Amino acid sequence: MAVFKRKPKEIDNNAITPLWNVVLNIIIGIFAFTCVFPFLFVIAISFTDEKVLALNGFSLLPEKYSLAAYQFVFNTGDQLLRSFGVTLMVTVLGTLISLFLITTYAYVLSRRSFRYRNYFSFFAFFTMLFSGGMVPNYIVATQFLHLYNTIWALILPIAMNAFFILVMRTFFQTSVPDALIEAAKIDGSGEFRTFLQIVLPISLPGIATIGLFCTLGYWNDWFNALLYIDDASLVPLQAMLMRIQNNMEFVIQNSMQMGSSFEIAATLPTETVRMAMVVLATLPIALAYPFFQKYFVQGLTVGSLKE
Amino acid sequence: MKMKKGLTLALAGTMLFSGLLAGCGSNNNTNAAKETNNSAAAGNSAGNTSELKPYELKMYLIGGPQKDLDLVLKEVNKYTQEKINATLNITMFDWGDYDKKMQVITASGEPYDIAFTSSWTNDFRRNAANGTFLGLNDLLDKYGKETKEVLDPRFLEGTKIKGEIYGVPVNKELGQQWVWRFNKKYVDKYNMDISNIRTLDDLEPLLKTIKENEPGDITPLAVPKGFKPFMPFDYVLGDELPIGVYMDSTDGKVVNILETPELATSLDTMRRLYTAGYLRPDVATLEGIDNIKTGKWFADREITQPYAEKGWSRSAGYEIVTSPMHEPYVYTQSAAGSMHAISVTSGDPERAMMFLNLLNTDKYLRNLLNYGIEGTHYKKISDNVIEDLPAMQDSYAMPGFTLGNMLLTYLHADDPADKWDAFKKFNDSSKEAPTFGFAFDPTPVKTEVAAINNVTKEFMPALYTGSVDPKTYLPKAAKKFKEAGLDKVIAEVQKQLDEWNQTKK
Repeated sequence: MAVFKRKPKEIDNNAITPLWNVVLNIIIGIFAFTCVFPFLFVIAISFTDEKVLALNGFSLLPEKYSLAAYQFVFNTGDQLLRSFGVTLMVTVLGTLISLFLITTYAYVLSRRSFRYRNYFSFFAFFTMLFSGGMVPNYIVATQFLHLYNTIWALILPIAMNAFFILVMRTFFQTSVPDALIEAAKIDGSGEFRTFLQIVLPISLPGIATIGLFCTLGYWNDWFNALLYIDDASLVPLQAMLMRIQNNMEFVIQNSMQMGSSFEIAATLPTETVRMAMVVLATLPIALAYPFFQKYFVQGLTVGSLKE
Repeated sequence: MKMKKGLTLALAGTMLFSGLLAGCGSNNNTNAAKETNNSAAAGNSAGNTSELKPYELKMYLIGGPQKDLDLVLKEVNKYTQEKINATLNITMFDWGDYDKKMQVITASGEPYDIAFTSSWTNDFRRNAANGTFLGLNDLLDKYGKETKEVLDPRFLEGTKIKGEIYGVPVNKELGQQWVWRFNKKYVDKYNMDISNIRTLDDLEPLLKTIKENEPGDITPLAVPKGFKPFMPFDYVLGDELPIGVYMDSTDGKVVNILETPELATSLDTMRRLYTAGYLRPDVATLEGIDNIKTGKWFADREITQPYAEKGWSRSAGYEIVTSPMHEPYVYTQSAAGSMHAISVTSGDPERAMMFLNLLNTDKYLRNLLNYGIEGTHYKKISDNVIEDLPAMQDSYAMPGFTLGNMLLTYLHADDPADKWDAFKKFNDSSKEAPTFGFAFDPTPVKTEVAAINNVTKEFMPALYTGSVDPKTYLPKAAKKFKEAGLDKVIAEVQKQLDEWNQTKK
């Protein structure tokens, strides 16, 4: 310690000059703003009066505020609340299942003493290069596994992710020293105990990172619902929004051929209601983000520190 | 060496797994095929309804899923069991999802009996060509006689491909007719006579009056990007592409619309209207327009059906009046606007046809499916007139035009009593377009059609709305179209059309 104190001005080799610091901050600030700005717009529109919107178009500071869209959503929105529940359940359950599958698979691959690790690595890696495609997936899920119209159709198809397995394997390899596992073995710990009580606790940052990815993946997934779900009580939030959006576009594009389109158009939600739904669908997951952030930062540094 | 071993293992594993799947799939297929054969044989030998085995019909329909569908189906099944010993299992997919869903279902070979199909979704021509749908000529003759009698023969003509019918059309409006719509408030205010407004030139003085006397935020001609002045052409590849036949053509000559005098004058008029400020300045990029909602408009353009003004006025909340641009025409795609097809994977096509026949001729069944259960979803005011109960809006709002013969359905109190007669009259008065019944097969000129499509997107919205000067831009567009291969496409259309005309005679 005394060695450092002798120098009055300590030069941090990793620091950048103040000028660059300012410039980079501004650039990143602008970038962050362009990311957030569209969402601010959506929020503003959702609070705008429908009539004002039709007359003046979109504006960030609407002439007249209105809560009508939210009132509409909550009054007629038993479908929305139900979808909210489905999404929440799928996200929680799915993330837990995904994490279990991914961490166990990755841990096994990270152990050098495992004989078939090359084969299993290849087996996972292979799926990243070649996939069966949509139709075979559909056949397997509906006719082979009978997932149609069950909640598992939303969970199982995206439960495993080869890329996350590889990331997690590297994480285990770099942050869990072989010596530690050997020590545990000498102390009489079995494989499961080693995994659960030794490896997992020190891998928390990695698990949290992958967990966040999985959570986002489940929260935002709508495609599986499009393929496998008709039952209105099982439609997740994003799929519901997607359907509303698709229906609007479809009716606008095909109104010429359908003739009686005004009957359908009358049942579609208005612009402000759609924006209100977007806000309600995005806000919860956006609010969950800060809780993961601390692991996120840690996860990245831990990876670069080891060996 | 190690790697090699791993690879062998992986390969072996994959092969084992895929073998398992393939085995499973082919088993299913043969089973299904056997079933089809069996039931077909049974249907043929049995012939009459009393000896029919129970069967569940799987049917796909378009439209938002309805809460009370199961409730209504229970009633429907009681009735259909009695009539044809079949029960019905309906799955509905949303408007925007239907096409994708049906593609996946078709590709996966999943067995079903009946699906909604049309020229605008679950494209029946593509499906019929790919062998997804069953040819119905014999079935219609055997089990669908009553349906055939009900329909205007031109409906069936429109669903024919090489002489074979592939869909049972819904009896509704047959022709297509564009109208000018007017905001009645201003028509009354300036005492305008709109009964004889047909062309853009007729419309021009009225637009002028509005522009001069009303404040600037009233759009005289409130149309978005897709607007096209009506021209006397039968567009063979949809009205986006400049390939057509003159409406009054007798020789069936395909023309390049860009070179016609009609287009030149139309574009000049549009340019004049645009520069005079009768349209929104940003019309060339305007996806849609909110005029109905804001009420700040004078005229626009829409496709009509009998008594459509009533529907428009009701949803707008103020009165809208119309004047037709031309007489109604029957196009190939307007006749195929709404149909039901029977799948080749159907376990019992005869029964499916019996059901469709019932749906199109049986008033009780048709209304039950459309409006739900009497007393729950609606109440009767008189024999043929009903009033919606709140449950209708909340849990059983079915799109009527997708469910079979519309002319059998009950009327609402504010519907004119002669609504369905008006539909019949409208259909009778509809003239056949010169290429009615002909469908172009774009496969030989696929690349050219795609290239032309791109040129269309680039030039036509701006030209048709008058946003650019046609004197400089029309020649530019024509040149680009030529480079994209327009002539080749026209030649191909002409060739197919001639062949088709030959077979017709």
